Amino acid sequence: MVMRHRRLPAAACTVLLAGLAAALSACSSGPGQPSNVITVSSNQCGGRWQVPGPGWHTIQISNEGTSGAEIDLTDPANGAVYAEIENTGPGTVNPITIDFGSGSYALLCLFNDFSPLRGPAVTVAGHVAGSKAVLPVTYNDLIPYAKKYATEEEAAIKVLAAQTAALAAAVRGGDRATARRDWLTAHLQYETLGDAYAAFGDFDTEIDGRADPTGVSSPQWTGFFRLEYGLWHGQSLKSLVPVAGTLNKNVDQLAVWWPTQQVPLADLGRRAHEVIENALQFQLTGHDDYGSGTTLASTAAAVTASRVLLALLHPLIAPRYPQLPQVCTGLDQLQSLLDKEQQPSGWWVAESALPSAQRQAIDAAAGQLLQELAPIASITEPRNTASDF
Amino acid sequence: MTSESQEPVTPGPAPQPAAPRPGRRSFLRGLAGGIAGGVVAGGAAGAAAGYHGRTTPADPAAVADEAALTGRLNAVPFHGTYQAGILPAPSRATAVVSFSATAQHKRELTDLFQTVTDRARFLTAGGTPPPVGIDGPPSDSGVLGPTVVPDGLTVTFGVGSTLFDDRYGLAALRPVHLTPMKSFPNDDLDPAQSDGDLIVQLSAGNTDTVLHALRDITKNTRGGMQANWRIDGFTSPARPAGTVPRNLMGFMDGVANPAVTSASQMDSLVWVDPAASGEPGWTAGGSYLVVRLIRMLVEFWDRVDIEEQETMIGRRRGTGCPLDGTSLDAIPDYANDPTGDVIPLTAHMRLANPRTAQTASSVLLRRAYNYDRGLDQVGDLDQGLIFTCFQQDIKRQFEAVQTRLIGEPLVDYISPFGGGYFLALPGVTGPGDYYGRTLLA
Repeated sequence: MVMRHRRLPAAACTVLLAGLAAALSACSSGPGQPSNVITVSSNQCGGRWQVPGPGWHTIQISNEGTSGAEIDLTDPANGAVYAEIENTGPGTVNPITIDFGSGSYALLCLFNDFSPLRGPAVTVAGHVAGSKAVLPVTYNDLIPYAKKYATEEEAAIKVLAAQTAALAAAVRGGDRATARRDWLTAHLQYETLGDAYAAFGDFDTEIDGRADPTGVSSPQWTGFFRLEYGLWHGQSLKSLVPVAGTLNKNVDQLAVWWPTQQVPLADLGRRAHEVIENALQFQLTGHDDYGSGTTLASTAAAVTASRVLLALLHPLIAPRYPQLPQVCTGLDQLQSLLDKEQQPSGWWVAESALPSAQRQAIDAAAGQLLQELAPIASITEPRNTASDF
Repeated sequence: MTSESQEPVTPGPAPQPAAPRPGRRSFLRGLAGGIAGGVVAGGAAGAAAGYHGRTTPADPAAVADEAALTGRLNAVPFHGTYQAGILPAPSRATAVVSFSATAQHKRELTDLFQTVTDRARFLTAGGTPPPVGIDGPPSDSGVLGPTVVPDGLTVTFGVGSTLFDDRYGLAALRPVHLTPMKSFPNDDLDPAQSDGDLIVQLSAGNTDTVLHALRDITKNTRGGMQANWRIDGFTSPARPAGTVPRNLMGFMDGVANPAVTSASQMDSLVWVDPAASGEPGWTAGGSYLVVRLIRMLVEFWDRVDIEEQETMIGRRRGTGCPLDGTSLDAIPDYANDPTGDVIPLTAHMRLANPRTAQTASSVLLRRAYNYDRGLDQVGDLDQGLIFTCFQQDIKRQFEAVQTRLIGEPLVDYISPFGGGYFLALPGVTGPGDYYGRTLLA
C-alpha cells in the first residue's frame, strides 16, 4: 500500500468532529458512556481505551500527529486485522466499527515516515463471537508469488512468440483459412496471459489494441484485432503481411521486456478479478468481436487466466477466504457454459448469435463469479504490519 | 393511501430464513468475504441471518427526523398477508424490471426467492449496512448515504407463466389465468420488452431509493436471475393541488379506482381467491399483475384539438371532471346518456368501465406511472405510460376491459409495446417466511 501524506484544512475537520459527535451519541450504547474517541500520533497509538462490552461499537480514531497514517484494529496475538482506515490526514477523525467479540484488540499505527506502533491491548471478556479478523498479506508474503508468476508468464510469452511467428508465416503463405486458424491459436494464448492493470504497458495497445481510439482505417491500429479485422473483412493476405509481421515483432519485444519488469505486488490478486471484469465488458458484450465471432473463446481464455492466478495464490487466499471453493465452482460453471459454444469445427458460436437462454446463463454465471472474485483483491492487497519493519 | 397504519420500524429479532447447504453456491451475498458470524459452510443460522444480525437497524425517530428534513418517506412495513406495494397510490418513483430465472434447479430457485426476500426486508426497513473488514468491497453502494433510508420503498415481486415450465417442476402449480400476455389488435408488442419469468417493481419516494434498491437486489442475485427488460417511471405531483396526478397526455390518470380501504371490494376485485376460482391454493394472498408498456404519440396528440382529446377520454383536461359532471370524483351517469351525447360511447373512460351491474366485476385496481426515455427514429420523444393493474382474474378483468377498448379512437395516439402477465406473490407474513414459500416449499 502506498502511504500518501495528506493534509486537510483544520477548519473542515473541526466541522467533521462536531458532526461526528452527534453520530457518536447515536451509535453509543446510551447516555453517560465514556467518549470513544481515541487519540493516535507517531509516538503513541491509543493510550488507554476501552470497549464497553461485546457487540457492535464504533471507535473514533483522531489523528493528532503531523503526518498521514494508516490505523489498523488488530488482534495482538497474531496481527490479524479486523478493520483498517488508510490515508487518515493529520487532524482528522475517522470511525472504525466492528462487532467486538470476546478477545483482545490493539490498534496498530502506521504513520508516514515513522516506525509502526502497536497500542495497548484491550480485552473483551466472555465467550461471545464477533467480527472475524483476517491475517494481512504482507509485501514479503507476495514476493515469491510474484517471482513465480513472472517466470510462468515468461514461459507463456515464449509460447506466444512461436505462435505469432507461425501466424506471420501463414499470412505470408497466402492461405486465409490457415491464417485464421493460427490467428485464433495465438490470440487465445495472448488472452490467457491475463493482461490487466496495464500488466504489459504499451505492449497491450500494440498487440491487442482496439480500434476505438483510432478507427478501423487508421494505420496506427496494429495487433491481433487489426489482423482479425483484415482476415474476416476480405482484406487481401498480401496487405496483411506487414500487420502480422509487426504483431510478431511486438510479441518478440514483449518477450525481451517482460523479464526486466517487476510485477506490482498489489496487482496479483486484483488481476484474477479484473480479467473477468474485462471479459464481461468487452468480450461478452461482443465489443471486441472484429469479425471472427470468437469472443466466447476469449472469455474462456480469461477464465483460464484467472484460474492460473488463483492457483498461484491459493496458499495465501485459502486460509483467508472461506468462499474460495465457490469461486472455483463459479469458474468451472462459466467455463462449461462457454465450452458448449465451441463447435466441432473448432470455431465458436458468436456472442451475437447466442440464443437468449444461453446468453443469460452465461451472463448469470459471469456476474455471480465476479461477485465472488471481488473480495480477493482486498484480501491479497499487500499491507504493512509491525513485523515488516 | 391505504388503511394500513404506517408504523415506525422497530428493530426486531434477526430473521432466520432457511440456511443454505454447506459448500453449495449460494446467492446469499450479504457477507462479502470472511468476516462474518455464520459463513456459508455449515452455519446453522445461515448466511442471510448473519447479515441481518450485522445490520444496524434504523432508529425510527432518527429516520422520521431525517425524513422531515430531506423529504424522504417513512418506511412501509414489509410483512403482511399481501405485498405492501399493491394497494398504495403510485409513488413518485418506480422501476419495473423483468427477469429470467437462471437458477439451475428448484433448490437454487428457492435460494433466489429467499435472497430477494432478505434484500427486500432490509431495503424497506432501512438501516446501516454492516461494515466489512479488510477482505472485500463495501456491502452497500453508498448511493443513499451511510445509512440506507427506507423512503417508503415497496417491493412487488411476481412470477410469469414461463416459470411454470419444466425447469423447476412447477408446471402443475401454474395459476389458472397466468399465460404469456395476449396481443390485442392495436398492440405492437416487442418480444424483447415483453413477459419474463419474474417481475420486480420497486417504488419509493425518490429515484435514488429505487435505483439503490435495484442495484442491491441485482448484486445479490446475479447467479439466480438476469434482467430481460426494465423501465423507469414517475408520478407527477397533482396539479392543481388536491387533484390527481396527470399522465403525459396532460390528463389526470387513475381518478376512478375501487376503494382500497374496502376489504370487501379488495376481496372481490384484487386478491386471488383460490377457494372460489379454482386457482391453486398457494396463490392465496396474491394478485394478478398486468403490466402494459404504452408509448404515447405525444407530438401527434399535441396537434389534436382539445374537444377531440376530451371526447376521446371522457373527461375535461383541466379539471379532470367527467364531461357530464361538476367535480373530479363525480360518477358519470351513463344511464342518463344512453346514446353518448355527452360522454361518447367510444370514450376511453366509458369503454373501460361502463359502470353497469354486468361490468362491475371487471373493474381493475389501476396503478399507472409515466415514463420518459429517449427518442425514436424520427426524433420524436419516447414517452408514455407504464400501466400496471392488479386484479383477481386476468380474463374477467384486464382482458375484458382491453377487449372493450379495441378500436377506441384513442388507439391512434398510443402504441402498446411491452409488458406482461404476472402473479404478484402472496405477502411475506413474517421473519420466518419468504417470497413464494407456499409455491416452493
